[in-house]
Amino acid sequence: MQKKFPRSYASLENIFKFTERFFDAENIGEAVRFPVHFVLEELFTNMVKYNPGNSNDIMLDVNRVQQNVTVSLTDFDVDSFDVTQERNVDVESPLKQRKVGGLGLHLIQKMVDSLEYNYSDRESNITFTKGLA
Amino acid sequence: MFQIDFGSDGQIICSGRLDAAQCEKAQSFLDAVDNSRTIDFSQLEYISSAGLGVLLKTQKRLAESEAGLKIVNVNHHIHDVFRYSGFTAIFDIETPNT
Repeated sequence: MQKKFPRSYASLENIFKFTERFFDAENIGEAVRFPVHFVLEELFTNMVKYNPGNSNDIMLDVNRVQQNVTVSLTDFDVDSFDVTQERNVDVESPLKQRKVGGLGLHLIQKMVDSLEYNYSDRESNITFTKGLA
Repeated sequence: MFQIDFGSDGQIICSGRLDAAQCEKAQSFLDAVDNSRTIDFSQLEYISSAGLGVLLKTQKRLAESEAGLKIVNVNHHIHDVFRYSGFTAIFDIETPNT
């Protein structure tokens, strides 16, 4: 299933409706839906946040390949930003020293089985998989 | 649809999905909280990293006056996110089984 969505936080509601239809059709449960939605939202909102002047829609592609859900996001006419790069995020300090923000890209690495980034001709493509087992 | 409001016992009740599009609503409500409160997550299905930021910002502000949020009835998907985020060390968190 493939669809383009406007570059806006307001698209999240329609994105989740789109993926819910896919999950329902594939009879996929909450144990997979939750992390897929979490990672998909993080990646999509990053694309919105860091390219606010870009008028291109963002392409979402969701598929089942054997025992995996594969999700791909493609952003057009953008600079490179590799979401797979290791980031130092503090999740152990006392409350006073914690910084608000920056957790998302740290968390997505823990919630999917694979995460790939490709950049070519000013197109960013991020693909992640989540196993159904 | 995300909702946040006070329950009859003074607890804060969250329901629905707290995604990035709903964070302004959550932050606006929590900015008006000025003492220790319990938040009931029994009807909260989903939280994003933006939602975690709302909780952390509120907890840091309340801690300046020796107050804080206690979060109860956290489903196990959200609890996993709290654990990965290190929130279990900086919030008082209860799952339905604890």
